[in-house]
Amino acid sequence: MKRLRLDRWTSPLLAARPAPCPASRPRAALRPTTAASAFSRGTAVRYQSTDTTPEEHIAAPQEDYDDGTDHVRFPPLEKLPPGAASLPSPPPERALRSAKLAALKARLALPDRVPLQTLARALVDASADQNRLFNNSSLAFVGQTFINYHVSEWLLCRYPRLPMKILYAAMKGYAGPISLHHVARSWGIEHAAAPGGEVDPGLLQFSMHKPGDAFVALGYRRSEADHLKHNKWRHSLSNSVVFDDDFGDLIDTQDQADKMRARPDTEYGNEYTRMLAENAYATCVRAVVGTLYAHAGREPAKAFVKAHILARTLEIERLFSFKHPTRELSMLCAREDFEAPVARLLSETGRLSRTPVYNVGIFSGGDKLGEGAAASLDHARAKAAMNALMSWYLYSPGENVSVPSDMLEDGAKPWTPAYIDMGEVVGR
Amino acid sequence: MTIKALQQISAGRNGVGAFILQCKRMDFHYCDWAGSSKGMNGFIKSLLPKFTAAHPQVEFSISPRPRKHPVIVAHYINGHSRSQCVRNLEPYSILQKAEELRDASGEPLRRVTKPVQSANPSVRGVWSPYHGEGMKV
Amino acid sequence: MDALATRRAVSCCHRALLAPSGTAAPSRALLTTTPRPTTSPAAAAAVALGALSLPSGARTKATAARTRRALRIQPHYSFLHPPNKPGYPAYERPTTDEIIFNPPSSAASVYHTPVKFLPKADPRRRTAALVAAAAGTGSSTPSGLVDLDAFPTVNMPDARPRHHLTKADIEEMRRLRTADPVTNSVVTLARRYECSQLFVLMCCHAPPAHRAKMREEEAKVRARWGPRRRSAREERARRNLMLQNGEL
Repeated sequence: MKRLRLDRWTSPLLAARPAPCPASRPRAALRPTTAASAFSRGTAVRYQSTDTTPEEHIAAPQEDYDDGTDHVRFPPLEKLPPGAASLPSPPPERALRSAKLAALKARLALPDRVPLQTLARALVDASADQNRLFNNSSLAFVGQTFINYHVSEWLLCRYPRLPMKILYAAMKGYAGPISLHHVARSWGIEHAAAPGGEVDPGLLQFSMHKPGDAFVALGYRRSEADHLKHNKWRHSLSNSVVFDDDFGDLIDTQDQADKMRARPDTEYGNEYTRMLAENAYATCVRAVVGTLYAHAGREPAKAFVKAHILARTLEIERLFSFKHPTRELSMLCAREDFEAPVARLLSETGRLSRTPVYNVGIFSGGDKLGEGAAASLDHARAKAAMNALMSWYLYSPGENVSVPSDMLEDGAKPWTPAYIDMGEVVGR
Repeated sequence: MTIKALQQISAGRNGVGAFILQCKRMDFHYCDWAGSSKGMNGFIKSLLPKFTAAHPQVEFSISPRPRKHPVIVAHYINGHSRSQCVRNLEPYSILQKAEELRDASGEPLRRVTKPVQSANPSVRGVWSPYHGEGMKV
Repeated sequence: MDALATRRAVSCCHRALLAPSGTAAPSRALLTTTPRPTTSPAAAAAVALGALSLPSGARTKATAARTRRALRIQPHYSFLHPPNKPGYPAYERPTTDEIIFNPPSSAASVYHTPVKFLPKADPRRRTAALVAAAAGTGSSTPSGLVDLDAFPTVNMPDARPRHHLTKADIEEMRRLRTADPVTNSVVTLARRYECSQLFVLMCCHAPPAHRAKMREEEAKVRARWGPRRRSAREERARRNLMLQNGEL
């Protein structure tokens, strides 16, 4: 919902190493030295870039250092402390030999242009490896922005009249952390018991003991966030559009850190650790989308988001909860210059019976707006008003509505303007 | 504000949008010595390379299990696994068993009585006794 | 397709019959709507009840076969005798493409937007106008065929602002409320100034002493409630909440 320049974001990501060669597997392997031999010498360095091809690594994995890399041009990115016993995450060269990773790539039908090393990097959470050049936080940031842009654009064009709160809830229903966690599980991603350099690169790696602070949502940390939370200060929706994250939630990193410190350390974890795990899985999905965007471009990434995230089912009518439906419907009719709504009893099963059912319809002029059946007249009327309001808010121009990003494709059809609604009926 | 939002989570529908094969890993166990593994050894030599090449989305592992019957264990995305003993079977019968395991969803076997199961609401709506003209009896 | 066309529809209310491919008949689609007769609410209720009742003793047959036979009922008369064509034999396969539009008795989905709610440029408006013209009514929904005044109204608030109160009126209202909040209660003021009680509450605040007294009295009344009345109140509140959340 905010104006983004995605194309500018991934350029440093790709510029950090030589341009990938689309024909074969990329030469842009994340290349550390072989861990064992490096540690035997007491120091270890991790390289992100190398000049050699992955095939050479497979052929001669034990030969290190003198592999023709121009270390002046691609300097080592990280010098591990001399006492370091192991790498925090698996060395990228091992990605080429991981059966799990290859299977995951085939399962997601990722194109050949996506290198296995980057896919392996997408599986390393910031809590497992603090180094931003080796964890997935930058990929996830791109992916998150891409997913949220496409979900919000699709929702706004498909259901142009959704109230802002419902729109946020729908966004969260499709692209929120819990939903993306389900997506990652449905891809068959498993996590390692503990992160480290020795685990299979095909496993998701995150730690619940060392918090990682790399992943930051798009939004502002408010100075008054504590008051908003603890003193229940009011903040308007338009305020939240500007300051809060893409799901309308407050950003409070401080609070999260406090929670982390206060976390009880049980064997099976608690609700908070479960939330951490869910976030790690969700971050991994975002990083996979970011990987696809960085290496394959916009169209494949968009198709991927459509197939894996937007193709899921969300019953939007179950997101609504009305406080004063009849009043709101009357206000709607007044605003739109319809005749004032009249509720009429259409049928009943007998009001002296033990379980009466009333069927009430709401009419504006000669047109029926909604109908509801309930066990009391008041409830039936409220239900009818709720149904009428929902059918107002859930208006859709069509199933396959065109979205602005369709225009970016080559040979796109001429743009038909999307329906823009004047906004929700503001309640008193 | 008069409208509040109740949070819901979207539900995945495999095959709508993208299809993910539910079998994620298959283990083939054999024995070099025992006679019941004769077919399995032939299968591993002749048919398995083609089978694995055809299914890149499945992780394969082959390991000996000395002095035991040969077995195929399939692991599924929902966390379940299913094992199939293939003692004394011909290579092509083993291939058939492997294909069965590959196609399974990992859910426990249930008797399916309804031809269609759908999460979508009916296009015609759910029948309601309070609507329509009803029927005079 | 043949099986669908020749089989008698028993419960299916909305079916499309298409001529088998290869026939010389021109492909033509026609949309027929079923005009609904004027019904009174009492008649509608009787019909609704009648649809539920079965012949007595239908469930108490000795064998499964007899039960099935007893429960086997005739197809709906609208299938045997389509309303627009008297004496039309249902089993005869139509020679042209025909769409029988006979919507099932079901509540409308909220995803089905009423015509009034459609934007001016939406193409569905044109279709609805065609249907209305075919049915011979000016209204866009089938309910336009029914005399709406026959159905009793259920109270519905009118949110249309009248703006009939001046600033002086509101000042006077505030003065009255502050001077004697007992005599000039919210209900009294709303009745006197012909506005809603909500408007009175928006305009004036009772003195704090009066509010405290009212709260005290309410607490006294609540204290007298027994367990049954209390639980009934709680259940009602819970039911209202469930209704708002769409759980009822």
